Amino acid sequence: MGLRERLVRFAAERPRSFVVATPGGAGARLVVEEELRRRGWRAVASPVGADVLVVCGEPGAELAQAIEVVWADVPGPRARVQVAAGVRREAVARALDGAAAELADVPRQWADAAERVAAGPWTPDDSGDEMSGHGGGHGGHEQGGHAAHGDMGGDGDGGHEHHMGAPGGVAMAERADDRDGLKLDVLHVPLGPVLSDWPAGLRVSLTLQGDVVQDAEVGVLGGAGDGVVEWGGLAVAHLDSIGRLLAVAGWAAAAERARILRDDVRAGVDRRVEVERFARQVGRSRTLRWMIRGLGVIDRAAVERYGLTGVAARYPGDVADRLAGRFVEARKALGGGADVELDDPAALLRVLPSLLVGAELAAARLIVASLDPDLAREPVHG
Amino acid sequence: MLPWSIGVVWFNAMEVVAWVSVWMVGWGTNSAFPLVGGYRFLAQGLAYELPHMFALITVALGAESLDFGEIARAQDGLWFVVWMPVAFLVYLLSVLAMAFWGPFGHPVGHDLAGGAVLELAGPDRLVFEAGRYALLVVASAAAVPLFLGGGAGPLLPGWAWALVKTYLVLALLVWVRHRLPVIRMDRFMTAAWVVLIPATLVQMLVVGIVVLG
Repeated sequence: MGLRERLVRFAAERPRSFVVATPGGAGARLVVEEELRRRGWRAVASPVGADVLVVCGEPGAELAQAIEVVWADVPGPRARVQVAAGVRREAVARALDGAAAELADVPRQWADAAERVAAGPWTPDDSGDEMSGHGGGHGGHEQGGHAAHGDMGGDGDGGHEHHMGAPGGVAMAERADDRDGLKLDVLHVPLGPVLSDWPAGLRVSLTLQGDVVQDAEVGVLGGAGDGVVEWGGLAVAHLDSIGRLLAVAGWAAAAERARILRDDVRAGVDRRVEVERFARQVGRSRTLRWMIRGLGVIDRAAVERYGLTGVAARYPGDVADRLAGRFVEARKALGGGADVELDDPAALLRVLPSLLVGAELAAARLIVASLDPDLAREPVHG
Repeated sequence: MLPWSIGVVWFNAMEVVAWVSVWMVGWGTNSAFPLVGGYRFLAQGLAYELPHMFALITVALGAESLDFGEIARAQDGLWFVVWMPVAFLVYLLSVLAMAFWGPFGHPVGHDLAGGAVLELAGPDRLVFEAGRYALLVVASAAAVPLFLGGGAGPLLPGWAWALVKTYLVLALLVWVRHRLPVIRMDRFMTAAWVVLIPATLVQMLVVGIVVLG
C-alpha cells in the first residue's frame, strides 16, 4: 500500500459528522447518534468542520433548500448521508460505511472539488442561489411595538448564518437605537433551521444589536414525513432534551452522559438508579446554576396567557427550573408514572419571542433548548 | 536577542496578542456568529487579564526579579505555589481563559456552532488550532518556573523535571476540559472584578510584607 493510500484511509477512518434533524426525524437522529458514538465518530457543531453531512428524516421543500445551503458549506472531501425517519441501525451503519468509502475515494473527491471550482464562489446576486429565498423573507419588515427600530427595515443580507454579507454588493448593516439609547448596528441573523442541538425545523429570525436580541420572529420549516416520532417513551424524550440543554450550556461530559442514558433507556435497559444519580450530579453543579438561573423566566401569568402545557407549565420559572422539572418527569416516566400532558409546541412558539427579546445570544440558545419544542407535532407556518 | 531580564513582561505582552488574533479571526470572516465569538473573547480578556497580571506581579515581587531563571532559583527550598496559592489558582484560571479552553471556551462555543472559528476549514483551522494548543502548552510550561520551582527535584536532571511538571499542569487543564459548563462573561465578569482582583491584591500585599520583612 502506498503512502498516499495509507494517509487517505487514515483520514477517512473517523470522519467528523454534522447531523441535521428534520421534524419527525427524531427517531432516526437517535439511531444515528448512537451509531456515531459506537464507532467513535465525532459529531461537530458546524458544517465547516465536518466531513459527513447526515440528514435524519425527510425534509420538506423549504428545509431541503436550507440543507442544500449547508451542504455547500461543507469543505471537501465530503460525503452526504440521508436516512429515512423509521430507519434501523443496520441501515444507518451501511450508510455511514458508504460515506467513509466515499471520503476515501480520491478520484470522486477530485471530481467534486473540480465541479465546485467551476461553479465559482458564492455571490449575493447569484439568482440560482437558494439564499435569496431566505433573505427575502426579512425585506422591509417592521414590528409593531418596536417603534424605535423603524429605520432598520429593508436589509438585504441575512439568509443563512454562514454568509452574513459576502464581499460584493451585500448591503451594510443599518443602525438603530439600542436599549441604552446608543446608535448600534442592526444585524438580522436567523437561528436555525439547521443548527446543532436545536429543535428540528425551527427558525428564529433574530434582530441583533451586538449579541443582544432586539426582536425575534418564529417560523417552522416542516418535514415531509407523517410527523410520528417513535421516541420509545417519555423518559427518552426528556433525556434527549436534557442532553441538548447541557450541550448548549457547554458541558460536554454531562451532555454525553445524558445521551448514553437516553440510548440505554431506549434500548430497554433499566437505568432508574443511574438517572437519579445523574440528576443529583447535575443539580449539584453550582457553575451550571450560576450560568442558567434567571434566564427565560415564565411565570404563572404567562402560562395562562399563552396557554402553555407540559414542562413549561408544570415547572414555571427559569431555565434551571425547567431543567430540574425535566429530570423529575424523566424519573417519573421511568418509574412507570401516569401519562402526563405533553408540551403544546404551538404555545411554546407563541411564548418564545417574548422570552428572547432582551436576551443575549447565548441566553437565547439556552432558553430555546430549555423549552425544546417538538415541532413534529406542529403544523407548518411561516 | 530577547531581553531575558524582563522575561515575565515579554510573556505577558505576547500572550495579549491572542486577544488580537482571536478577535481578528472572528471579525475577518465577515459572518455573524464568528463576530460574536470574537467579541466574547474581548470580554473574556477584560475579565481575566487584570487578575492574571496581578498574579504575575506577585511572583515577580516574591522573587524580586522579572527573569524566569531568577524566579525559578528564588524558589530554592520553598515553591511559590506553597505561599502564593491564590496567585497560582488565578494563574491556572487565566491560562484556561487565555487559551479559551474548556469552561472558558465560550468564544469558540458550541452554542455559536464554533464561534470565532466557525468559518475556518482546512489549513486555516489547523493553524488556528495549533496556535491555540501552543498557547495552552506555553502557558502551562510557564507555570513551572513561576510557581513550581522550575527544574528543582531529586534524581532527574532539571530539564526532565521541568518537562514532568509541565506535563502535569497540562494534564490537569486537559482533564478539566469537558467537565464544567462553559462560563459566560456576562455572569463571570462580576466575580472576576469583585472577587479575583481583590484576592490577588491581598495575596500581593502578603507577599510584599514578607519580602520587606
